[in-house]
Amino acid sequence: MVAVPRALYVHIPFCLSLCPYCDFVVLAGRAARGPASRVAETVRALHVELDLRADALAAAGVEAAPLASVYLGGGTPSLLSAEQVDGLLDHAARRFGLASDAEVTIEVNPGPADRGDLAGFRAAGVNRVSIGAQSLDAEVLAHLGRRHRPEDVADTVAAARAAGFANSNLDLLYDVPGQTPESWQRTLTGAVELDPTHVSAYALTLDDPEAEGLTGPVGDHLPVTPGARKWRSRARDGQDEDRAADEYATACASLAAAGYRHYELSNWARPGSESRHNLAYWRRDAHEALGPGAHAFDGVSVRRWNAARLDAYLAALLPAEGVAPCLPPGGTDRIDAETARSEAAILGLRLDDGITAESAAEPVVAAGIAWALAAGLAERIEREGPRIALTPRGRLLSNEVFVRLLPDADAV
Amino acid sequence: MPTIPQARLRNFSIIAHVDHGKSTLADRILEMTHAIDARQMTSQVLDSMDLEREKGITIKARAVRLDYLARDGQHYGLNLIDTPGHVDFSYEVSRSLQACEGAILVVDAAQGIEAQTLANVHLALAQGLVIVPVINKIDLPSAQPEVVMDELESVLAIPREEVICVSAKEGTNIDLVLEAVVARVPPPKGDPDAPLQGLIFDSHYDAYKGVVAYVRLAAGTLHKHENIRLMASGAESEILELGVFLPQPAPVPTLVAGEVGYVATGLKSVRDCQVGDTLTVAARPADHALPGYKLAKPLVFAGIYPMQGEDYGELREALEKLHLNDASISYQPESSVALGFGFRCGFLGLLHMEIIQERLEREFALELIASAPSVEYAVTLTNGRGEVRVDNPSRLPPAGDIEVISEPWVKASVVTPSQYIGTLIELSTSHRGTFDTLEYLDAQRVLITFELPLAEIIVDYYDQLKSRSQGYASLDHEPIGYRPGQLVKLDVMVAGEPVDALSLIVHRDRVQSTGRNLVEKLKELIPRQMFEVPVQAAVGSNVIARETIRAMRKNVLAKCYGGDITRKRKLLEKQKEGKQRMKRVGSVEIPQEAFLAVLRSGEAT
Repeated sequence: MVAVPRALYVHIPFCLSLCPYCDFVVLAGRAARGPASRVAETVRALHVELDLRADALAAAGVEAAPLASVYLGGGTPSLLSAEQVDGLLDHAARRFGLASDAEVTIEVNPGPADRGDLAGFRAAGVNRVSIGAQSLDAEVLAHLGRRHRPEDVADTVAAARAAGFANSNLDLLYDVPGQTPESWQRTLTGAVELDPTHVSAYALTLDDPEAEGLTGPVGDHLPVTPGARKWRSRARDGQDEDRAADEYATACASLAAAGYRHYELSNWARPGSESRHNLAYWRRDAHEALGPGAHAFDGVSVRRWNAARLDAYLAALLPAEGVAPCLPPGGTDRIDAETARSEAAILGLRLDDGITAESAAEPVVAAGIAWALAAGLAERIEREGPRIALTPRGRLLSNEVFVRLLPDADAV
Repeated sequence: MPTIPQARLRNFSIIAHVDHGKSTLADRILEMTHAIDARQMTSQVLDSMDLEREKGITIKARAVRLDYLARDGQHYGLNLIDTPGHVDFSYEVSRSLQACEGAILVVDAAQGIEAQTLANVHLALAQGLVIVPVINKIDLPSAQPEVVMDELESVLAIPREEVICVSAKEGTNIDLVLEAVVARVPPPKGDPDAPLQGLIFDSHYDAYKGVVAYVRLAAGTLHKHENIRLMASGAESEILELGVFLPQPAPVPTLVAGEVGYVATGLKSVRDCQVGDTLTVAARPADHALPGYKLAKPLVFAGIYPMQGEDYGELREALEKLHLNDASISYQPESSVALGFGFRCGFLGLLHMEIIQERLEREFALELIASAPSVEYAVTLTNGRGEVRVDNPSRLPPAGDIEVISEPWVKASVVTPSQYIGTLIELSTSHRGTFDTLEYLDAQRVLITFELPLAEIIVDYYDQLKSRSQGYASLDHEPIGYRPGQLVKLDVMVAGEPVDALSLIVHRDRVQSTGRNLVEKLKELIPRQMFEVPVQAAVGSNVIARETIRAMRKNVLAKCYGGDITRKRKLLEKQKEGKQRMKRVGSVEIPQEAFLAVLRSGEAT
């Protein structure tokens, strides 16, 4: 038995330039624009994959239900033309159905060259923009290798508003090398002044997908370039646990004062503007996914992903004349029942609502929850029944809690 | 094999400083006497352990019987007895030399006399051996045979006419060496009809034959059907096999006074048949043993722990097996709060410790962690309650019960180019040493002697000696007894709990800086915990250094979208494994790597 996917993720793997800290599947430079651009080809392949995925669901007997959210992520999906976006949304609506009140998000880079045709996107049915602002401090932006200037963020917010977008998100980064508490406070204040409906604030995370074994032929990540690798190792030295904790506290205070609800560890929203798409991930709802490196979940026990390599992706979906297209290479991860309960608790505790007292009593997590309660990292709350949620300190130390909610290795 | 009369037997060793080419010369001699075909020759046949070959040193002595057709047209039986080439094994060297009438002294033509050259020559002369001096590596561009001859003449009174210049690598003049052995080394003496006295100069354990003893007969004749007795251990057994090494074992019916061979004893442990013991025939025993026997006594001690607690049983079995072959290792179970269950092991010296640790890791596939090496202290208790020996700092009695702590001292001989005299004297005095004598070996090189606490040598003295002299200085040392010292026990406490594995016995003058170094290092290495953790160094109840590890404030706040869920779970699983591997001191989780780093760093001690 699998659940009906009500969320669809579409990955657009192109940016004008690579940011050294970014882990997403992205190609830049000639692949992203100009005569050698591979964007059009990829969009064609996405259409083919969309059909194949819809066929597969139908063949598995999953009844279609209209999508409640579509998320065009990347990469920089705003590099697509309005026609391309329109074509994809139209195709998704035809194959899956699209609820009339669906949340349809597109990620947008604030730079003038990659902001894209916001009015066209709106006309195509997009109703939410997520803006990769990162910072409103020119120095921090330069340090992060971003192409845009602080004022581009305000321009983009204004342009989106003018194009008729009522919902907007700003992505912000803290614990950036060289970032001062004052700079972070200015960025937060500036962001609040722009009055987005949603703010995501992440501590800069510098992982090594290669060391995690994610960059092989069917891995969901591309190998890290030598330049980015060097940048990350230098940047790690410039990070600081105490500054990060202080900056998180600043974000909590500033955004709460401005009326945003801190509904997930790193996400704030005007009440009612919480990201429906992302909530689907945190609530372990089924979601479908298209594009290289994209992940889907059947809502029960199977997570699957497409391999990150674009060539293999295109070769499978756009074969030579007369050859039938097939699904791109990738992998699957089967989640047993115990791991599923652990996963549900870990994801649920990211949310301010936490998890029900009943699910917190599941044997796989009960000891970890008891530890977190005793350590002051979790607390009992009342919200349509008894629940367990993280305390402010528990949010900062969430991994300390999560690691204790995993099943024992030998039990798996 | 033809029987060779005593008059045509020659028993000899090769003595040399490490790397002066002893094993290569032995290989050439084996080739010349056709004991080994040049084609099947693996380099350095006598060093049969991999480790020996890698480290370029000989750990266990071996004996080979060679048939040599000399220029006088006669066949001679040459017994080449190889010796270990490191100060840790000087007792074994002395027993090997006792089995000989002569010794080939090998000196590197470029390096000249080194500290161990002198130590070994003195051992050989003390046994009354004839020295056949050989200068090796004359093929090297940097060879200075004339200078080395001057040194031999002035330091050891060896006339230059007696010196043979060879290149073992290229095979030059090896025949002259063999001729000199035949001409200069006297044949063994010993009455074949007297009661049997055989010197055990080495042994190894064989799974089928039990302990195989390497023996030099000083008197009497041994027949293969006789029952033997070891005079010191009292062990008796039937001979399973009697033979000589060619170098492969070749059984013989008898061994006669003056000969060298092996006896397979069937004994179950080398403890019953230790180097230096005297072998005799049970039915007609000798009335006294050969002189010089003593039990090999460990000088350096360390706790050895398996990295994975569940490997404890395997570690015990591995130590038992090694001990069958090497009676000089001692091991006692011990447990440490920080490191779990392991063994307190005793070794002849640091090199011996390193070899045993590597053999445990390599031959038994164990991952090990060793505590800082320690010497054995003699602790005099108050109120005339006697003396206790302590080889583990954490077992030291409470300060109030201690009248005085004494520690072993050594006489250290250092040979060095003269430009390093100043820095090496400074090094030695900063290691609590006292300068003794200084003697010029030639215009450029000197022999300096110091008296030093052994504890200083096993910490970092040797490494520093090498680095300060750019590798040129060499060191030899011999024990000169115990002396009282201003010694105190330094404890390290994490969150108020003593970490037994990090306790040290330190000189009072050094305790402040050592304590400071330790807590600073631990502060760096112990990850932040959920609560604030004080790290303290203390002498008794007196805290002499303190650092605070602040409480952890943040453990990852990242995005978590569709693609991150599996990835994050796997990262968390890895974190969980890491946590499970951590050692717990009270409620503080300390990664094993932190202990390793502290224990491996010189500053720890």
